[in-house]
Amino acid sequence: MKNKLLIQLTLACFFLVTPLVSHGAQRPDPTEQMKPFVHKVMEILKNADFKEDPKCIICKRLIDVSRERFDFNEMSKRVLGRAWRKLNKEERADFVDLFTRLLQYAYIGKLEQYTGQKVIFKGERIRGKRAEVKTELNDGQQSVAVSYIMLLEGDQWMIYDVIIEGVSLVRNYREQFKEILRKEKYSGLVRQIEKKVKQLEEERRQRFSQKN
Amino acid sequence: MILSKVLTRFLVVLSFFILLLSPLSLYAAGQDETTDFLSDDFYEDTADVAPETGDPLEPFNRAVFQLNDHAYTYIFNPVAKGYSAVVPFDIRHIIDNFFTNLEEPVVFINCLLQGRFSDAGSTIVRFLANSTIGVGGLVDFANREIGLEPVEATLGETLGVWGIGDGFYLVVPFFGPSTLRDFTGTVIDSLAMTPYYTCIDKWSVKTGIYAEKTTNDLSMHIGEYEDLKKLSFDPYIALRNSYFQYRKKIREHRVFPENE
Repeated sequence: MKNKLLIQLTLACFFLVTPLVSHGAQRPDPTEQMKPFVHKVMEILKNADFKEDPKCIICKRLIDVSRERFDFNEMSKRVLGRAWRKLNKEERADFVDLFTRLLQYAYIGKLEQYTGQKVIFKGERIRGKRAEVKTELNDGQQSVAVSYIMLLEGDQWMIYDVIIEGVSLVRNYREQFKEILRKEKYSGLVRQIEKKVKQLEEERRQRFSQKN
Repeated sequence: MILSKVLTRFLVVLSFFILLLSPLSLYAAGQDETTDFLSDDFYEDTADVAPETGDPLEPFNRAVFQLNDHAYTYIFNPVAKGYSAVVPFDIRHIIDNFFTNLEEPVVFINCLLQGRFSDAGSTIVRFLANSTIGVGGLVDFANREIGLEPVEATLGETLGVWGIGDGFYLVVPFFGPSTLRDFTGTVIDSLAMTPYYTCIDKWSVKTGIYAEKTTNDLSMHIGEYEDLKKLSFDPYIALRNSYFQYRKKIREHRVFPENE
């Protein structure tokens, strides 16, 4: 087990160095860019003690690390669909901020359940400036298929959608937001997301106050 | 005697299905679920206009969704939780294997009907190997030792391959999301399973088997529905959309392309 980790880490280091050596002559590879990022996240999770973290400081750290590989701007754009184009610069920035906070509580909070699952890379496909990196989250008993949809920005592949067992996070939210936008317009949607974030924050706080 | 009973039931369901389905199969098939992830352009006007598989029964479906939600929260989930606390994962996994194995002949026929001959072949090999070496299907020997993964094929999919539309989205009491076409397929698929059960006359035993299968299935997925509900703004739409996306995934039988 230790050996395997060592090999993985060595590989990760190797892949970090390779682009420097080959001087960017090659087209960047999405899987190779994902690997060091995944290792970084797993390191944080391994050393994290969520039980002692009622304010979810680790969540914030994870979001900060995620910015390296996730394009929350592109994500927000896609989740809003056509409504995005009607927003001005400030509104867009505010929405990205709000949506990132939702993701922080909704999904990063879920990583608390991390119990040493392994990420196995299953392959990739590239079409133009977009790529899908297929992985499998495996805990030895059950496995979950997780795909990352990425966009090539400069020489970096950035994630803008996560597909869990075939279900796209972005498409699922877009479908729900479409209804809300139709009935309550953009301001109604913002209100609902704010409410949801508060509710998730509150739930978390209660969980900790019950424990102590 | 038994055969004629099964046959009559089959015909009743089939005629019901043909009556209902034919005028409705013109509904537009979902577009959002069929677009490839790598060619999904959010800014296209069509992306917002494109209809999902129709949901003309939405008020009815929402009511059934509520019913299922309550049944899940107050009956199924507590039962599955207790069950998974008592029955260890390995045993639940064996039970899962057993039921999967029983369904293999139906999967085999559907593969044939869909023209997926290599899948049909691997299904029959799986069934034979698992029923014998795999101790009556308790062990998925074929997957572990020969690398033959279980194949997905239902009559709903077969009908889709034959060009019959989904009809409309349907939430079935105590069953969950489906479409008119797919649920009809599910009913016929399970009738085709009746040879196993005809030797069991007691209704209570049959129900018991079904309950055990459902509980066992559910015990492998505890917490997923709660998460969906907690993280969504409209759980009904979230589940409907997840259903169509997930269904698309399990019906994609090609090998993941390494590159294009």
